Amino acid sequence: MDDQGCPRCKTTKYRNPSLKLMVNVCGHTLCESCVDMLFVRGSGNCVQCDTPLRKSNFRVQLFEDPAIDKEVEIRKKVLKIYNKRDTDFPSPREYNDYLEQVEEIVFNLTNNIDVENTKQMMEQYQRENRDIIQRNKAKLTREQEELEELLLLEQKGNEQRRLETLEEERRQLQAKRKNKQALLDELESSQLPASLLLAQHKDRAAQSETQIERQKQVVKPTIFSTGILKGQTVSLAPVARVEEVLYLYEPLHIDTHGPPVPQLEQLGRQGYLNHVRAASAQDVAGGYTSGLACHRAIQDAFSGLFPSLL
Amino acid sequence: MYHNSSQKKFWTFDKEATLEQMRYEANTTFRSKILTSGKPGVNESIFLDPREEKVLFRHYEKRLLDFCTIFKPAMPKSVVGTACMYFRRFYMNNSLMEYHPRIIMLTCAYLACKTDEFNVSSGQFVGNLQESSAGQERVLEQILEYELLLIQQLNFHLVVHTPYRPMEGFLIDLKTRYPLLENPEMLRKSADDFLNRAAMTDAGLLFSPSQIALTAVLNSAARAGLNMETYLTECMGLKDDKETLSKMYDSMRRITSLIKEYEMPKQEEVNVCKQKLDRIHAEFVTNTNLKRKRGYEDDDHVVKKPLVTEEAEWTDEDLEFL
Repeated sequence: MDDQGCPRCKTTKYRNPSLKLMVNVCGHTLCESCVDMLFVRGSGNCVQCDTPLRKSNFRVQLFEDPAIDKEVEIRKKVLKIYNKRDTDFPSPREYNDYLEQVEEIVFNLTNNIDVENTKQMMEQYQRENRDIIQRNKAKLTREQEELEELLLLEQKGNEQRRLETLEEERRQLQAKRKNKQALLDELESSQLPASLLLAQHKDRAAQSETQIERQKQVVKPTIFSTGILKGQTVSLAPVARVEEVLYLYEPLHIDTHGPPVPQLEQLGRQGYLNHVRAASAQDVAGGYTSGLACHRAIQDAFSGLFPSLL
Repeated sequence: MYHNSSQKKFWTFDKEATLEQMRYEANTTFRSKILTSGKPGVNESIFLDPREEKVLFRHYEKRLLDFCTIFKPAMPKSVVGTACMYFRRFYMNNSLMEYHPRIIMLTCAYLACKTDEFNVSSGQFVGNLQESSAGQERVLEQILEYELLLIQQLNFHLVVHTPYRPMEGFLIDLKTRYPLLENPEMLRKSADDFLNRAAMTDAGLLFSPSQIALTAVLNSAARAGLNMETYLTECMGLKDDKETLSKMYDSMRRITSLIKEYEMPKQEEVNVCKQKLDRIHAEFVTNTNLKRKRGYEDDDHVVKKPLVTEEAEWTDEDLEFL
């Protein structure tokens, strides 16, 4: 921030916090007062690059780097001409090429590369595609209008809802006050005992309360949060169920071509483990048991023992 | 488990004739390859015929086993069995004339150490060869060169089920469920011997490891004058299944006869065949296979010369570690 300042009068943001920097098409900054002074006649040359400028083209600098301001300005201008949409192209590939071309032009103009040729190219493009540009412009404005209309509608709806709730509250308040007044009147004129009247009043108050509640419920829901109108009938029938056969677990059967092998857990009970080396404490720590080796040996012994019957 | 292994699916064959047929085809394939390559001075007489190949195969297999037995640190039996099976499987589809068994057998042993989780470094492995350290280096280089070829020729089926663990299983089962036998441990020695001899036959390519192991146990019992038929009928549940029982007896007989038929090749026969083999390798194979491969890696001119002498240097005689 500290080096942001007017290149002509050398004022910086630090020394003058209200300093307003302006940018013109060439991308060089000037402070507001310098602009006023230099461009009294409405036009003049840039202090830094001698480009002829108009006072009316000065904009407030929005970005720290004035080059970005310049680019934004250029892009706006280029996109006015290059306003084709993806629907104007037969394939995404071509649309992408087109977008790249646009970027190329913007880059060239921003960085002063081959400016003349680029400008000529733009002009040629404009001549050739006059119809499409016009059409897309119209389309764009139409879309803009539609969007605005939509926004307006939404705003209106919100306003109406707000007014309704206000009205409702006012009515409730009035009803309550009327009720209270009635109680006082009755206490004044009636022959019945006060406690009874009070009870009656309480009853009535509760009744009106529930009535209001009910009203609220009736008034409120006209539209679901999903945007579907209340009156609209939505098919609530469950999605048609596909009849499927339930999965049935079948235990894995492996043909070992041999006699059955005892289960690992039963080796000890059947006495197999008496005939193998017992696992040492170190072995057991690693998760090894003598049953594992024993089981494996017996599995290997029985696997494929019987010759296949052909 | 064997019953769903690649061994059962791809490497167990129905009869001996199939194996012979495959070896015969490997032999003829190599012959026609050399004959059609149009080299001068080639005629049928210089090739090994299938019978001679078998003689040499047995010779080198024996040497593989011997190498494994004196290997330090001591090699577990399952590693030896695996190496032996690799050797056998490799020459099912390849001719001895194409790849020299001298290097293939070492590669088999080296690969078996890896796949069977017997951890030796490559330096340690070739340290078991009775050679100078430069010679060991060369052998190691060749082993590594042939290792991938071997794996490929084994069709990447590297798990081999050997009959040694099933035999342990049978002994445990006998001790547990067959009290008629007083001391099953006494069967171990001759059963072990049986299995070692079975490793030198085609039994592993024809029968399941459990069948071989059971045959070994029953054979050992028979030698001790014990009849163990009740073990099969009672404990194996074959009492009412006469068909399976007879088939089992049949396959056991076949295994036993395979082992009985085995005979060591005669030394003079081996020498004749070896000369033939070395000539074939010197003429056709070394310059098509190994050297060409290396030639790609290095400059042809630089490498070719020392390679020729190297081949001459490293012959079987250097490997005479016994």
